Amino acid sequence: MNENHRFCTGRMIVNLNRFRLFLAVAACKIAIWGSKLLGKKGSSMPGQLALKIYPGVLRDLAAQVKREIIVVCGTNGKTTTNNLLYSFLASRGYSVVCNKVGANMLYGVCCAFAADASVFGKLDADFACMEVDEASCVKVFAHMKPNKMILTNLFRDQLDRYGEIDITVDYLKRALALVPDTELILNGDDPLVAQFGENTKRKCYYMGVDEDVGVSLNETKEGRFCVMCGERLEYEYYHYSQLGKFHCPSCGFARRALDFRVSGVSLCDGLEFQLEYQGHIVPFDVHYRGFYNIYNIVLSYAAAVLAAGEIPDYAGVLARYQPQIGRMEEFQIGKKIVLNLSKNPAGFNQAISTVGKDERPKDILIAINDNAQDGKDISWIWDVDFERMNGIGVRNFIVSGIRADDLALRMKYAGIEQERMTKAYGLKEAAQALASGGGEIGYALVNYTAVFRMQDILKELEKEAENLE
Amino acid sequence: MSEAICLTIGHLFPDLLNLYGDRGNLLALKNRLIWRGMEAEVVEITKDDPVELAKMDIVFLGGGSDREQRLVCERLRTMRQDFRSYVDEDGVLAAVCGGYQLLGSYYQLGEEKIPGLELLDIYTKTGEGRLIGNVVLESNFTGKKEMVVGFENHGGRTFTGEYEPFGSVICGYGNNAEDHKEGVLYRNVLGTYLHGPLLPKNPTIADELLRRALARKYGRAIALEPLDDTLEQEAHDYAVKRFSQK
Repeated sequence: MNENHRFCTGRMIVNLNRFRLFLAVAACKIAIWGSKLLGKKGSSMPGQLALKIYPGVLRDLAAQVKREIIVVCGTNGKTTTNNLLYSFLASRGYSVVCNKVGANMLYGVCCAFAADASVFGKLDADFACMEVDEASCVKVFAHMKPNKMILTNLFRDQLDRYGEIDITVDYLKRALALVPDTELILNGDDPLVAQFGENTKRKCYYMGVDEDVGVSLNETKEGRFCVMCGERLEYEYYHYSQLGKFHCPSCGFARRALDFRVSGVSLCDGLEFQLEYQGHIVPFDVHYRGFYNIYNIVLSYAAAVLAAGEIPDYAGVLARYQPQIGRMEEFQIGKKIVLNLSKNPAGFNQAISTVGKDERPKDILIAINDNAQDGKDISWIWDVDFERMNGIGVRNFIVSGIRADDLALRMKYAGIEQERMTKAYGLKEAAQALASGGGEIGYALVNYTAVFRMQDILKELEKEAENLE
Repeated sequence: MSEAICLTIGHLFPDLLNLYGDRGNLLALKNRLIWRGMEAEVVEITKDDPVELAKMDIVFLGGGSDREQRLVCERLRTMRQDFRSYVDEDGVLAAVCGGYQLLGSYYQLGEEKIPGLELLDIYTKTGEGRLIGNVVLESNFTGKKEMVVGFENHGGRTFTGEYEPFGSVICGYGNNAEDHKEGVLYRNVLGTYLHGPLLPKNPTIADELLRRALARKYGRAIALEPLDDTLEQEAHDYAVKRFSQK
């Protein structure tokens, strides 16, 4: 009698949970559909709703992934790395759940799973690849345990949200403690990332660029002291920021042997390099620019081959890959205009390096907003090497965004003459000034909340320009 | 021919204390001399370099993370006597954020007590949550009432007792979110939580530091010609307008 009663209750709970899963997924889908109707890009509210209806929704959906869940984390390059990983896996014919638009907090991850599930809460996926915000990993990992996690890099970003980079590191340590079996695929060139492979029993793979490419700048470097013992790190060479071949003279913490080793790098026209791993040598030749993309490409490729074996069409995947909004995205408005999301010193310095490689006379637009998603603290603009924009053939500088005044002052200190500088508070006005500047090409380097609006504006101007022809 | 007027600005431990645009503060001090035809020598003193405070006209101590602050603390304690004399001889010292906390007796970080330079009888302890946001102050630092703008981000709460504050808080948290005071002033020491960075956008504060350092070095008041501060003023006024009307 008693036994039977307990058995029944158990079955009722299972059925109840199935019902709640159905309700949660259905509500999430309706909410996604509803917010699309309203023209909103938001993918947070539907996920929040689903978790409210059934807190186990993400856990139950993630449990249905047949092969592996792979998480991508780190300050810069999350979206590109995650979307490349998705494309590599999809090229093998696998079905893959992915938060492609970069909604990378708990609700966004939940929403991506619910969107791909059937309305009855059935998910048919071989893999899940999810980018997860550093501070959200703790929350997300309470619901799903990734098989693998890629860590791209750790830079200063949105300091007012995370406090300090050490706080970000603590968040990640707490998150990883929840998932002791998760394998790590680490940027071995970044000591702040590589520390996660020390003193742990979990399997770790390291990738890195194993030669001095000569792209290093004199910029503010995070983590120049050993995270293990506090001694000053020594570098055989730097790539950028704190990335490079490092070692600690005191405790021996050093860049590990590279499981995925990049060499033969050429940055002349796009990116060319070769990758050695597990006895293979694979050549890469892609049209995108930016040294940092080597990390995005190799980390995603490494995760893909570790999870799914060879990726025969990797070159095709890379050639077809459409960068996300504002990743060196091109427009034609009388001349070529390149839009790039730059949201922290490391990202800006890399963008300036990339722009500097272009020898044409050019115009540059920089826009900084300080909305909550951008980070309200904009003092990091003083850590960007804007001084390096002198002597790279810039005709006109346009500063814009909510904090245009702060940028204008920063540019004054960078030695940009006032005659060459235009302050345009509105993004549209700024975009028009960029298109009509005296250069042969225009670069728009803008931060997070400005990039969406700027993309819309550039598309609009592109259409107008087409109609004129 | 008289020798060019020149100040030596010592930037202490930029390799450790370099958060939140400290670089901008150094650039402001240096450039505001150069723009006036004077000279500036910025000496970057890293953790392992010898420091001769007596040769400095302005010393700048920036912000760092709690971890980095622990590293710098021991190093600073070895120079306590030098610091004491420097301050007593009216040396100009600007300390921001982590550097500001280190001026006091100690920083109580949970269980751990990080001893400070003990230059001032002030102390810091951690509180619940970080104090983060834009700040507007009313300050008398230059001898007349002025608005000062910046950004604060600190976990520590600093208690400054009877010392004159750098300013009273119009918007933001200030030293401890309790007494509406921000920063501390003592002789030619300016301690503050404001980065943002502080000096480029508050040129009168930068000039006041320069004026004091010049007077000390040359034994007489040296006039600072007015500069074209249009861009500075626009950035400053924007922040005052936007944040003080909340």
